[in-house]
Amino acid sequence: MSQSPVVRLMDVSKRIGGRTIIDRVSLEVYPGEVFGFLGPNGSGKTTTIRLMVGLMALSAGDIQITGHSIKNEFPEAITQVGAIVENPEMYKFLTGYQNLLHYARMNPQVTKHRIDEVVELVGLNGRIHDKVRKYSLGMRQRLGVAQAVMHRPKLLVLDEPTNGLDPAGIRELRDYLRRLAADEGTAVFVSSHMLSEMELMCDRVAILQKGQIIDIRSIRTTSEDTARAAEQVAFEVDHPDAALGVLEGHGTGRVEDGALLVTADRSTVASINRRLVEAGINVYGIRVKSKSLEDQFLEVTAGETIG
Amino acid sequence: MANFWKLVQNENMKIYRRLRTWIMLGIVVLIPLLFSTLAYFTSANHASSNWSVMTFESTITFILVTVFTVVISADSVAGEFTWGTVKLLLIRPWSRSSILLSKYLSLLLFGLFFSAVTFVVTFAVNVLFFGYNGSPSDLGPLWTTDPWSYIALYYLYQFISLVMVVTFSFMLSSAFRSGGLSIGLSIFLLLSGSIISGILAVTDKPWVKYVLFPHLSLTSYLDGNSPIPGHPTTLGFSLSVLAVYFILFNLVSWTVFRKRDITA
Repeated sequence: MSQSPVVRLMDVSKRIGGRTIIDRVSLEVYPGEVFGFLGPNGSGKTTTIRLMVGLMALSAGDIQITGHSIKNEFPEAITQVGAIVENPEMYKFLTGYQNLLHYARMNPQVTKHRIDEVVELVGLNGRIHDKVRKYSLGMRQRLGVAQAVMHRPKLLVLDEPTNGLDPAGIRELRDYLRRLAADEGTAVFVSSHMLSEMELMCDRVAILQKGQIIDIRSIRTTSEDTARAAEQVAFEVDHPDAALGVLEGHGTGRVEDGALLVTADRSTVASINRRLVEAGINVYGIRVKSKSLEDQFLEVTAGETIG
Repeated sequence: MANFWKLVQNENMKIYRRLRTWIMLGIVVLIPLLFSTLAYFTSANHASSNWSVMTFESTITFILVTVFTVVISADSVAGEFTWGTVKLLLIRPWSRSSILLSKYLSLLLFGLFFSAVTFVVTFAVNVLFFGYNGSPSDLGPLWTTDPWSYIALYYLYQFISLVMVVTFSFMLSSAFRSGGLSIGLSIFLLLSGSIISGILAVTDKPWVKYVLFPHLSLTSYLDGNSPIPGHPTTLGFSLSVLAVYFILFNLVSWTVFRKRDITA
Protein backbone atom coordinates (compact mmCIF):
# COMPACT_ATOMS: atom_id res chain seq x y z
CA MET A 1 0.00 0.00 0.00
CA SER A 2 1.33 3.37 -0.96
CA GLN A 3 -0.81 5.42 1.43
CA SER A 4 0.57 6.28 4.82
CA PRO A 5 -1.10 4.44 7.66
CA VAL A 6 -3.68 6.17 9.86
CA VAL A 7 -2.43 4.38 12.92
CA ARG A 8 0.93 2.78 13.41
CA LEU A 9 1.86 0.69 16.43
CA MET A 10 5.63 0.39 16.73
CA ASP A 11 7.00 -2.28 19.07
CA VAL A 12 4.37 -1.46 21.64
CA SER A 13 4.87 -3.07 25.03
CA LYS A 14 3.02 -2.75 28.28
CA ARG A 15 4.27 -4.12 31.55
CA ILE A 16 2.25 -4.02 34.75
CA GLY A 17 3.99 -5.04 37.93
CA GLY A 18 6.73 -7.01 36.18
CA ARG A 19 4.25 -8.89 34.01
CA THR A 20 4.33 -8.21 30.29
CA ILE A 21 0.75 -7.74 29.14
CA ILE A 22 1.54 -6.52 25.63
CA ASP A 23 4.76 -7.68 24.04
CA ARG A 24 6.28 -5.77 21.11
CA VAL A 25 3.08 -5.41 19.09
CA SER A 26 3.51 -3.73 15.71
CA LEU A 27 0.77 -3.16 13.18
CA GLU A 28 -0.52 -0.55 10.76
CA VAL A 29 -4.02 0.30 9.68
CA TYR A 30 -4.57 2.15 6.42
CA PRO A 31 -7.27 4.58 5.29
CA GLY A 32 -10.42 2.85 4.10
CA GLU A 33 -9.51 -0.42 5.75
CA VAL A 34 -11.53 -2.40 8.28
CA PHE A 35 -9.00 -4.09 10.51
CA GLY A 36 -10.02 -6.88 12.87
CA PHE A 37 -8.29 -7.59 16.14
CA LEU A 38 -8.84 -11.15 17.29
CA GLY A 39 -7.74 -12.99 20.34
CA PRO A 40 -8.95 -15.19 23.14
CA ASN A 41 -10.11 -13.61 26.39
CA GLY A 42 -7.23 -12.13 28.33
CA SER A 43 -4.91 -11.92 25.34
CA GLY A 44 -4.58 -8.14 25.67
CA LYS A 45 -7.05 -6.80 23.08
CA THR A 46 -8.63 -4.23 25.35
CA THR A 47 -5.27 -3.23 26.81
CA THR A 48 -3.96 -2.57 23.30
CA ILE A 49 -7.00 -0.41 22.60
CA ARG A 50 -6.47 1.50 25.86
CA LEU A 51 -2.88 2.16 24.81
CA MET A 52 -4.02 3.33 21.38
CA VAL A 53 -6.39 5.94 22.81
CA GLY A 54 -4.02 7.11 25.55
CA LEU A 55 -5.94 5.75 28.53
CA MET A 56 -2.84 3.80 29.52
CA ALA A 57 0.79 4.80 29.26
CA LEU A 58 3.12 2.77 27.03
CA SER A 59 6.01 0.94 28.69
CA ALA A 60 7.97 0.84 25.44
CA GLY A 61 7.48 1.65 21.75
CA ASP A 62 5.23 4.31 20.30
CA ILE A 63 1.83 4.71 18.70
CA GLN A 64 1.33 7.28 15.97
CA ILE A 65 -2.05 8.43 14.77
CA THR A 66 -1.86 10.36 11.49
CA GLY A 67 1.80 10.83 12.32
CA HIS A 68 1.21 12.26 15.81
CA SER A 69 2.57 10.36 18.79
CA ILE A 70 -0.07 9.50 21.39
CA LYS A 71 2.62 10.02 24.04
CA ASN A 72 3.96 13.42 23.11
CA GLU A 73 1.22 15.00 21.00
CA PHE A 74 -1.89 13.65 22.71
CA PRO A 75 -4.43 16.33 21.69
CA GLU A 76 -3.34 16.27 18.01
CA ALA A 77 -3.41 12.48 17.92
CA ILE A 78 -6.62 11.87 19.83
CA THR A 79 -8.64 14.43 17.91
CA GLN A 80 -8.42 12.04 14.93
CA VAL A 81 -9.83 9.15 16.96
CA GLY A 82 -13.36 8.07 17.77
CA ALA A 83 -13.70 5.12 20.08
CA ILE A 84 -15.79 2.86 22.23
CA VAL A 85 -13.68 1.11 24.85
CA GLU A 86 -15.40 -1.99 26.21
CA ASN A 87 -19.03 -1.17 26.84
CA PRO A 88 -20.54 2.08 25.65
CA GLU A 89 -20.98 3.56 29.12
CA MET A 90 -22.98 6.76 29.17
CA TYR A 91 -24.28 9.12 31.83
CA LYS A 92 -27.51 7.30 32.69
CA PHE A 93 -29.11 10.32 34.35
CA LEU A 94 -28.76 12.38 31.19
CA THR A 95 -30.73 11.97 27.97
CA GLY A 96 -29.09 10.52 24.88
CA TYR A 97 -28.98 13.99 23.40
CA GLN A 98 -27.34 15.51 26.47
CA ASN A 99 -24.71 12.78 26.37
CA LEU A 100 -23.90 13.67 22.77
CA LEU A 101 -23.92 17.38 23.61
CA HIS A 102 -21.42 16.66 26.38
CA TYR A 103 -18.90 15.14 23.96
CA ALA A 104 -19.71 17.67 21.22
CA ARG A 105 -18.72 20.52 23.54
CA MET A 106 -15.29 18.97 23.92
CA ASN A 107 -14.64 19.09 20.19
CA PRO A 108 -14.85 22.46 18.43
CA GLN A 109 -15.66 20.95 15.01
CA VAL A 110 -18.94 19.41 16.10
CA THR A 111 -21.96 21.62 15.46
CA LYS A 112 -25.55 21.16 16.68
CA HIS A 113 -26.44 20.25 13.13
CA ARG A 114 -23.86 17.47 13.16
CA ILE A 115 -25.37 16.06 16.37
CA ASP A 116 -28.78 15.81 14.66
CA GLU A 117 -27.10 14.20 11.70
CA VAL A 118 -25.47 11.39 13.71
CA VAL A 119 -28.65 10.83 15.72
CA GLU A 120 -30.44 10.26 12.39
CA LEU A 121 -27.58 8.08 11.19
CA VAL A 122 -27.72 5.65 14.12
CA GLY A 123 -31.51 5.65 14.06
CA LEU A 124 -32.16 7.02 17.54
CA ASN A 125 -34.38 9.93 16.42
CA GLY A 126 -37.46 8.81 18.33
CA ARG A 127 -35.73 8.14 21.65
CA ILE A 128 -32.85 10.62 21.77
CA HIS A 129 -34.54 12.81 24.40
CA ASP A 130 -35.17 9.86 26.74
CA LYS A 131 -32.89 9.24 29.69
CA VAL A 132 -30.14 6.74 28.85
CA ARG A 133 -31.27 4.78 31.92
CA LYS A 134 -34.25 3.64 29.84
CA TYR A 135 -32.17 2.50 26.87
CA SER A 136 -31.58 -1.11 25.90
CA LEU A 137 -28.00 -2.33 25.44
CA GLY A 138 -28.47 -2.13 21.68
CA MET A 139 -29.59 1.49 21.90
CA ARG A 140 -26.64 2.37 24.09
CA GLN A 141 -24.37 0.71 21.55
CA ARG A 142 -25.88 2.96 18.86
CA LEU A 143 -25.37 6.01 21.08
CA GLY A 144 -21.79 4.86 21.55
CA VAL A 145 -21.27 4.73 17.80
CA ALA A 146 -22.85 8.19 17.49
CA GLN A 147 -20.38 9.78 19.93
CA ALA A 148 -17.49 7.96 18.27
CA VAL A 149 -18.19 9.17 14.71
CA MET A 150 -19.53 12.61 15.60
CA HIS A 151 -16.28 14.50 14.90
CA ARG A 152 -15.55 12.54 11.68
CA PRO A 153 -12.45 10.80 13.02
CA LYS A 154 -9.85 9.34 10.68
CA LEU A 155 -9.55 6.32 12.97
CA LEU A 156 -12.53 4.58 14.51
CA VAL A 157 -11.71 2.14 17.31
CA LEU A 158 -14.49 -0.18 18.40
CA ASP A 159 -14.12 -2.74 21.16
CA GLU A 160 -16.59 -5.62 20.73
CA PRO A 161 -19.07 -3.43 18.85
CA THR A 162 -21.59 -6.17 18.12
CA ASN A 163 -22.14 -6.85 21.83
CA GLY A 164 -25.82 -6.55 22.62
CA LEU A 165 -26.93 -5.98 19.07
CA ASP A 166 -29.57 -8.21 17.48
CA PRO A 167 -28.82 -9.84 14.10
CA ALA A 168 -30.44 -6.96 12.22
CA GLY A 169 -28.44 -4.47 14.26
CA ILE A 170 -25.20 -6.35 13.63
CA ARG A 171 -25.85 -6.37 9.90
CA GLU A 172 -26.67 -2.66 9.95
CA LEU A 173 -23.46 -1.88 11.86
CA ARG A 174 -21.38 -4.01 9.51
CA ASP A 175 -22.83 -2.25 6.45
CA TYR A 176 -22.30 1.11 8.09
CA LEU A 177 -18.66 0.43 8.97
CA ARG A 178 -17.90 -0.86 5.49
CA ARG A 179 -19.56 2.22 3.99
CA LEU A 180 -17.65 4.52 6.35
CA ALA A 181 -14.38 2.92 5.29
CA ALA A 182 -15.22 2.97 1.59
CA ASP A 183 -16.84 6.43 1.33
CA GLU A 184 -14.97 8.50 3.88
CA GLY A 185 -11.71 6.57 3.91
CA THR A 186 -11.96 6.03 7.66
CA ALA A 187 -9.66 3.40 9.11
CA VAL A 188 -11.77 1.13 11.30
CA PHE A 189 -10.14 -0.95 14.03
CA VAL A 190 -12.51 -3.54 15.50
CA SER A 191 -11.84 -6.05 18.24
CA SER A 192 -14.15 -8.98 18.61
CA HIS A 193 -14.45 -12.57 19.65
CA MET A 194 -17.26 -13.09 17.11
CA LEU A 195 -15.07 -14.71 14.50
CA SER A 196 -17.68 -15.25 11.83
CA GLU A 197 -18.72 -11.64 12.27
CA MET A 198 -15.14 -10.46 11.76
CA GLU A 199 -14.90 -12.56 8.64
CA LEU A 200 -17.77 -10.63 7.09
CA MET A 201 -16.66 -7.23 8.35
CA CYS A 202 -12.90 -7.02 7.99
CA ASP A 203 -10.32 -6.67 5.24
CA ARG A 204 -7.47 -7.87 7.43
CA VAL A 205 -7.21 -9.42 10.85
CA ALA A 206 -4.48 -9.67 13.41
CA ILE A 207 -4.52 -12.53 15.86
CA LEU A 208 -3.26 -11.70 19.32
CA GLN A 209 -2.26 -14.28 21.87
CA LYS A 210 -0.69 -13.70 25.27
CA GLY A 211 0.08 -10.13 24.29
CA GLN A 212 1.88 -11.05 21.08
CA ILE A 213 0.70 -10.83 17.50
CA ILE A 214 1.02 -14.30 16.05
CA ASP A 215 -0.51 -13.64 12.66
CA ILE A 216 -1.78 -10.85 10.43
CA ARG A 217 -3.68 -11.98 7.36
CA SER A 218 -6.02 -10.73 4.66
CA ILE A 219 -9.58 -11.96 4.72
CA ARG A 220 -10.84 -10.74 1.41
CA THR A 221 -9.06 -12.72 -1.27
CA THR A 222 -9.64 -11.74 -4.87
CA SER A 223 -11.29 -14.18 -7.28
CA GLU A 224 -7.93 -14.53 -9.03
CA ASP A 225 -6.39 -15.81 -5.83
CA THR A 226 -9.23 -18.26 -5.46
CA ALA A 227 -8.60 -19.64 -8.95
CA ARG A 228 -4.97 -20.35 -8.22
CA ALA A 229 -5.10 -21.55 -4.68
CA ALA A 230 -5.44 -25.25 -3.96
CA GLU A 231 -8.26 -25.96 -1.61
CA GLN A 232 -9.79 -28.96 -0.04
CA VAL A 233 -12.70 -30.16 -2.18
CA ALA A 234 -15.29 -32.78 -1.32
CA PHE A 235 -16.79 -34.91 -4.12
CA GLU A 236 -20.09 -36.46 -3.18
CA VAL A 237 -20.19 -39.73 -5.14
CA ASP A 238 -22.05 -43.04 -5.06
CA HIS A 239 -18.93 -45.24 -4.75
CA PRO A 240 -16.25 -43.30 -2.85
CA ASP A 241 -13.78 -46.19 -2.74
CA ALA A 242 -14.02 -46.79 -6.48
CA ALA A 243 -13.60 -43.07 -6.99
CA LEU A 244 -10.40 -43.13 -4.96
CA GLY A 245 -9.10 -45.78 -7.38
CA VAL A 246 -9.94 -43.62 -10.39
CA LEU A 247 -8.04 -40.78 -8.82
CA GLU A 248 -4.82 -42.76 -8.56
CA GLY A 249 -2.03 -41.08 -10.40
CA HIS A 250 -3.83 -37.74 -10.47
CA GLY A 251 -3.36 -36.63 -6.93
CA THR A 252 -3.96 -37.94 -3.47
CA GLY A 253 -7.27 -38.09 -1.77
CA ARG A 254 -9.06 -39.85 1.02
CA VAL A 255 -12.54 -40.96 1.88
CA GLU A 256 -14.33 -39.25 4.69
CA ASP A 257 -18.01 -39.44 5.63
CA GLY A 258 -18.83 -41.18 2.36
CA ALA A 259 -17.26 -38.44 0.27
CA LEU A 260 -13.98 -38.18 -1.60
CA LEU A 261 -11.70 -35.44 -0.27
CA VAL A 262 -9.06 -34.02 -2.57
CA THR A 263 -6.79 -31.03 -2.32
CA ALA A 264 -6.84 -29.36 -5.72
CA ASP A 265 -7.10 -26.05 -7.57
CA ARG A 266 -10.00 -25.14 -9.86
CA SER A 267 -8.83 -26.71 -13.12
CA THR A 268 -7.82 -29.93 -11.40
CA VAL A 269 -11.27 -30.14 -9.81
CA ALA A 270 -12.82 -30.00 -13.28
CA SER A 271 -10.54 -32.71 -14.68
CA ILE A 272 -11.13 -34.99 -11.68
CA ASN A 273 -14.84 -34.58 -12.21
CA ARG A 274 -14.49 -35.53 -15.89
CA ARG A 275 -12.52 -38.69 -14.97
CA LEU A 276 -15.07 -39.73 -12.38
CA VAL A 277 -17.93 -39.35 -14.84
CA GLU A 278 -16.01 -41.19 -17.57
CA ALA A 279 -15.40 -44.05 -15.10
CA GLY A 280 -19.15 -44.33 -14.60
CA ILE A 281 -19.26 -42.90 -11.11
CA ASN A 282 -22.21 -40.66 -10.27
CA VAL A 283 -21.15 -37.29 -8.92
CA TYR A 284 -23.94 -35.71 -6.82
CA GLY A 285 -22.09 -32.65 -5.66
CA ILE A 286 -18.77 -30.86 -5.45
CA ARG A 287 -18.15 -28.61 -2.44
CA VAL A 288 -15.16 -26.47 -1.58
CA LYS A 289 -14.40 -27.07 2.07
CA SER A 290 -12.85 -23.67 2.71
CA LYS A 291 -11.68 -23.08 6.19
CA SER A 292 -13.65 -20.51 8.11
CA LEU A 293 -11.80 -17.89 10.06
CA GLU A 294 -12.85 -19.77 13.14
CA ASP A 295 -11.01 -22.91 11.98
CA GLN A 296 -7.97 -20.85 11.15
CA PHE A 297 -8.13 -19.05 14.46
CA LEU A 298 -8.41 -22.26 16.45
CA GLU A 299 -5.63 -23.76 14.38
CA VAL A 300 -3.29 -20.86 15.07
CA THR A 301 -4.06 -20.69 18.76
CA ALA A 302 -4.35 -24.45 19.08
CA GLY A 303 -3.39 -26.25 22.24
CA GLU A 304 -3.22 -23.07 24.26
CA THR A 305 -5.22 -22.81 27.40
CA ILE A 306 -6.82 -19.50 28.17
CA GLY A 307 -5.64 -17.81 31.28
CA MET B 1 -9.96 29.85 26.85
CA ALA B 2 -13.57 30.26 25.75
CA ASN B 3 -13.52 26.56 25.00
CA PHE B 4 -12.37 25.66 28.48
CA TRP B 5 -15.64 26.99 29.89
CA LYS B 6 -17.44 24.40 27.82
CA LEU B 7 -15.76 21.78 29.99
CA VAL B 8 -17.05 23.54 33.09
CA GLN B 9 -20.45 23.74 31.39
CA ASN B 10 -20.32 19.96 30.94
CA GLU B 11 -19.51 19.40 34.59
CA ASN B 12 -22.32 21.73 35.59
CA MET B 13 -24.72 19.78 33.38
CA LYS B 14 -23.69 16.59 35.16
CA ILE B 15 -24.36 18.25 38.54
CA TYR B 16 -27.59 20.13 37.89
CA ARG B 17 -29.32 17.60 35.64
CA ARG B 18 -29.62 15.28 38.59
CA LEU B 19 -32.64 15.28 40.85
CA ARG B 20 -30.56 14.90 44.01
CA THR B 21 -28.94 18.33 43.49
CA TRP B 22 -32.36 19.97 43.67
CA ILE B 23 -33.32 17.93 46.72
CA MET B 24 -30.14 19.22 48.39
CA LEU B 25 -31.07 22.78 47.47
CA GLY B 26 -34.56 22.21 48.89
CA ILE B 27 -33.06 21.05 52.19
CA VAL B 28 -30.74 24.07 52.35
CA VAL B 29 -33.75 26.36 51.94
CA LEU B 30 -35.94 24.39 54.33
CA ILE B 31 -33.56 24.15 57.31
CA PRO B 32 -33.42 27.91 58.09
CA LEU B 33 -37.19 28.18 57.56
CA LEU B 34 -37.74 25.38 60.04
CA PHE B 35 -35.41 26.77 62.71
CA SER B 36 -36.79 30.30 62.39
CA THR B 37 -40.35 29.05 62.73
CA LEU B 38 -39.28 27.12 65.81
CA ALA B 39 -37.48 30.15 67.26
CA TYR B 40 -40.48 32.38 66.54
CA PHE B 41 -42.98 30.21 68.39
CA THR B 42 -40.75 29.34 71.33
CA SER B 43 -39.31 32.78 72.12
CA ALA B 44 -41.01 35.19 74.49
CA ASN B 45 -43.29 37.67 72.65
CA HIS B 46 -42.10 36.13 69.37
CA ALA B 47 -39.04 38.33 69.64
CA SER B 48 -35.48 37.24 68.88
CA SER B 49 -32.48 38.97 67.42
CA ASN B 50 -32.46 38.41 63.65
CA TRP B 51 -28.64 38.40 63.82
CA SER B 52 -28.20 35.71 66.42
CA VAL B 53 -30.76 33.38 64.79
CA MET B 54 -29.12 34.00 61.42
CA THR B 55 -25.60 33.06 62.56
CA PHE B 56 -26.93 30.02 64.43
CA GLU B 57 -28.75 28.80 61.31
CA SER B 58 -25.80 29.63 59.08
CA THR B 59 -23.53 27.44 61.21
CA ILE B 60 -25.87 24.44 60.89
CA THR B 61 -26.63 25.04 57.21
CA PHE B 62 -22.95 25.47 56.37
CA ILE B 63 -22.22 21.99 57.70
CA LEU B 64 -24.92 20.70 55.35
CA VAL B 65 -23.64 22.72 52.40
CA THR B 66 -20.14 21.34 53.02
CA VAL B 67 -21.46 17.78 53.22
CA PHE B 68 -23.44 18.25 50.00
CA THR B 69 -20.44 19.71 48.17
CA VAL B 70 -18.37 16.77 49.42
CA VAL B 71 -20.96 14.34 48.04
CA ILE B 72 -20.85 16.04 44.63
CA SER B 73 -17.05 16.20 44.78
CA ALA B 74 -16.73 12.51 45.66
CA ASP B 75 -18.86 11.62 42.62
CA SER B 76 -17.12 14.06 40.34
CA VAL B 77 -14.04 11.93 39.76
CA ALA B 78 -14.81 8.60 41.45
CA GLY B 79 -18.23 8.51 39.78
CA GLU B 80 -16.72 8.68 36.30
CA PHE B 81 -14.65 5.62 37.20
CA THR B 82 -17.60 3.75 38.70
CA TRP B 83 -19.81 4.53 35.70
CA GLY B 84 -17.00 3.77 33.24
CA THR B 85 -17.63 7.10 31.51
CA VAL B 86 -14.08 8.22 32.27
CA LYS B 87 -12.97 6.19 29.23
CA LEU B 88 -15.03 8.36 26.92
CA LEU B 89 -14.25 11.57 28.80
CA LEU B 90 -10.47 11.27 28.54
CA ILE B 91 -10.25 10.43 24.83
CA ARG B 92 -10.98 14.01 23.75
CA PRO B 93 -8.49 16.66 22.66
CA TRP B 94 -8.05 17.94 26.22
CA SER B 95 -5.31 17.26 28.71
CA ARG B 96 -6.22 15.40 31.87
CA SER B 97 -5.21 18.46 33.88
CA SER B 98 -7.77 20.62 32.09
CA ILE B 99 -10.50 18.08 32.67
CA LEU B 100 -9.64 17.82 36.37
CA LEU B 101 -9.54 21.60 36.67
CA SER B 102 -12.98 21.91 35.08
CA LYS B 103 -14.31 19.44 37.63
CA TYR B 104 -12.69 21.31 40.52
CA LEU B 105 -14.03 24.67 39.35
CA SER B 106 -17.54 23.30 38.97
CA LEU B 107 -17.36 22.11 42.59
CA LEU B 108 -16.23 25.50 43.86
CA LEU B 109 -19.06 27.09 41.89
CA PHE B 110 -21.49 24.63 43.44
CA GLY B 111 -20.20 25.49 46.93
CA LEU B 112 -20.41 29.21 46.15
CA PHE B 113 -23.95 28.90 44.82
CA PHE B 114 -25.16 26.97 47.87
CA SER B 115 -23.38 29.38 50.25
CA ALA B 116 -25.08 32.31 48.53
CA VAL B 117 -28.45 30.60 48.87
CA THR B 118 -27.73 30.00 52.56
CA PHE B 119 -26.88 33.64 53.04
CA VAL B 120 -29.97 34.96 51.25
CA VAL B 121 -32.36 32.54 52.93
CA THR B 122 -31.03 32.89 56.49
CA PHE B 123 -31.00 36.68 56.20
CA ALA B 124 -34.40 37.11 54.53
CA VAL B 125 -36.27 34.60 56.70
CA ASN B 126 -35.08 36.13 59.94
CA VAL B 127 -35.79 39.70 58.88
CA LEU B 128 -39.28 38.53 57.94
CA PHE B 129 -39.82 36.83 61.30
CA PHE B 130 -38.01 39.19 63.67
CA GLY B 131 -37.53 42.46 61.78
CA TYR B 132 -34.27 44.20 61.02
CA ASN B 133 -33.73 45.36 64.54
CA GLY B 134 -31.54 42.89 66.38
CA SER B 135 -28.60 44.38 68.21
CA PRO B 136 -25.28 43.84 66.38
CA SER B 137 -23.74 43.03 69.75
CA ASP B 138 -25.62 39.71 69.52
CA LEU B 139 -23.01 38.68 67.00
CA GLY B 140 -20.06 39.22 69.29
CA PRO B 141 -18.71 41.80 71.70
CA LEU B 142 -16.39 43.31 69.08
CA TRP B 143 -19.04 44.12 66.48
CA THR B 144 -21.44 46.56 68.06
CA THR B 145 -21.41 49.03 65.20
CA ASP B 146 -20.86 46.94 62.10
CA PRO B 147 -22.91 43.74 61.71
CA TRP B 148 -22.23 43.47 57.99
CA SER B 149 -18.47 43.19 58.39
CA TYR B 150 -19.04 40.36 60.83
CA ILE B 151 -21.46 38.55 58.50
CA ALA B 152 -19.18 39.01 55.50
CA LEU B 153 -16.11 37.69 57.36
CA TYR B 154 -18.17 34.89 58.89
CA TYR B 155 -19.25 33.68 55.44
CA LEU B 156 -15.76 34.12 54.03
CA TYR B 157 -14.18 32.02 56.80
CA GLN B 158 -16.84 29.35 56.50
CA PHE B 159 -16.34 29.24 52.74
CA ILE B 160 -12.57 28.88 53.16
CA SER B 161 -13.04 25.85 55.39
CA LEU B 162 -15.59 24.46 52.89
CA VAL B 163 -12.98 24.80 50.13
CA MET B 164 -10.46 22.95 52.31
CA VAL B 165 -12.79 20.05 53.07
CA VAL B 166 -13.90 19.81 49.43
CA THR B 167 -10.30 19.89 48.20
CA PHE B 168 -9.55 17.06 50.62
CA SER B 169 -12.47 14.98 49.34
CA PHE B 170 -11.55 15.79 45.74
CA MET B 171 -8.07 14.46 46.40
CA LEU B 172 -9.42 11.22 47.87
CA SER B 173 -11.91 10.90 45.03
CA SER B 174 -9.11 11.29 42.49
CA ALA B 175 -6.57 9.13 44.33
CA PHE B 176 -8.73 6.24 45.45
CA ARG B 177 -11.57 6.38 42.91
CA SER B 178 -13.88 5.53 45.78
CA GLY B 179 -16.73 7.93 46.42
CA GLY B 180 -17.67 6.31 49.72
CA LEU B 181 -14.19 6.59 51.22
CA SER B 182 -13.94 10.18 50.06
CA ILE B 183 -17.28 11.16 51.61
CA GLY B 184 -16.59 9.32 54.86
CA LEU B 185 -13.12 10.73 55.52
CA SER B 186 -14.15 14.25 54.54
CA ILE B 187 -17.06 14.25 56.95
CA PHE B 188 -14.68 12.97 59.61
CA LEU B 189 -12.38 15.90 58.83
CA LEU B 190 -15.30 18.29 59.02
CA LEU B 191 -16.76 17.05 62.29
CA SER B 192 -13.71 15.96 64.25
CA GLY B 193 -12.12 19.42 64.22
CA SER B 194 -13.42 20.53 67.62
CA ILE B 195 -12.68 17.19 69.33
CA ILE B 196 -9.14 17.12 67.98
CA SER B 197 -8.62 20.77 68.94
CA GLY B 198 -9.57 19.82 72.48
CA ILE B 199 -7.02 17.01 72.57
CA LEU B 200 -4.34 19.19 71.02
CA ALA B 201 -5.02 21.98 73.50
CA VAL B 202 -3.74 19.85 76.37
CA THR B 203 -0.71 18.67 74.37
CA ASP B 204 2.27 20.85 75.11
CA LYS B 205 4.13 20.36 71.83
CA PRO B 206 5.05 23.06 69.30
CA TRP B 207 3.84 21.03 66.29
CA VAL B 208 0.18 21.04 67.31
CA LYS B 209 -0.14 24.44 65.66
CA TYR B 210 0.54 22.85 62.28
CA VAL B 211 -2.21 20.24 62.41
CA LEU B 212 -4.92 20.92 59.85
CA PHE B 213 -8.11 20.19 61.79
CA PRO B 214 -8.35 23.15 64.22
CA HIS B 215 -7.60 25.73 61.55
CA LEU B 216 -10.85 24.86 59.79
CA SER B 217 -12.72 26.83 62.48
CA LEU B 218 -11.45 30.25 61.45
CA THR B 219 -14.59 31.85 62.85
CA SER B 220 -12.97 31.64 66.32
CA TYR B 221 -10.98 34.72 65.34
CA LEU B 222 -14.21 36.73 65.03
CA ASP B 223 -14.69 36.41 68.78
CA GLY B 224 -11.07 37.20 69.52
CA ASN B 225 -10.15 33.55 70.22
CA SER B 226 -7.76 31.28 68.38
CA PRO B 227 -8.66 27.83 66.96
CA ILE B 228 -6.58 25.84 69.45
CA PRO B 229 -7.29 26.90 73.02
CA GLY B 230 -4.06 27.57 74.85
CA HIS B 231 -2.02 27.88 71.67
CA PRO B 232 -2.44 31.48 70.50
CA THR B 233 -2.16 31.87 66.73
CA THR B 234 -2.92 34.70 64.33
CA LEU B 235 -5.36 34.64 61.42
CA GLY B 236 -2.42 35.02 59.04
CA PHE B 237 -0.77 31.97 60.56
CA SER B 238 -3.92 29.87 60.20
CA LEU B 239 -4.34 30.95 56.58
CA SER B 240 -0.72 30.03 55.85
CA VAL B 241 -1.17 26.56 57.36
CA LEU B 242 -4.34 26.09 55.30
CA ALA B 243 -2.56 27.27 52.15
CA VAL B 244 0.17 24.66 52.60
CA TYR B 245 -2.39 21.86 52.98
CA PHE B 246 -4.38 23.28 50.05
CA ILE B 247 -1.37 23.09 47.75
CA LEU B 248 -0.46 19.64 49.03
CA PHE B 249 -3.96 18.21 48.44
CA ASN B 250 -4.15 19.62 44.93
CA LEU B 251 -0.67 18.41 44.11
CA VAL B 252 -1.72 14.88 45.03
CA SER B 253 -5.00 15.11 43.04
CA TRP B 254 -3.32 16.35 39.90
CA THR B 255 -0.29 14.09 40.04
CA VAL B 256 -2.32 10.95 40.58
CA PHE B 257 -4.95 11.80 37.98
CA ARG B 258 -2.45 12.72 35.29
CA LYS B 259 -0.34 9.60 35.69
CA ARG B 260 -2.96 6.96 36.30
CA ASP B 261 -3.64 4.12 33.87
CA ILE B 262 -7.37 4.04 33.26
CA THR B 263 -8.55 0.49 33.79
CA ALA B 264 -12.14 1.20 34.80
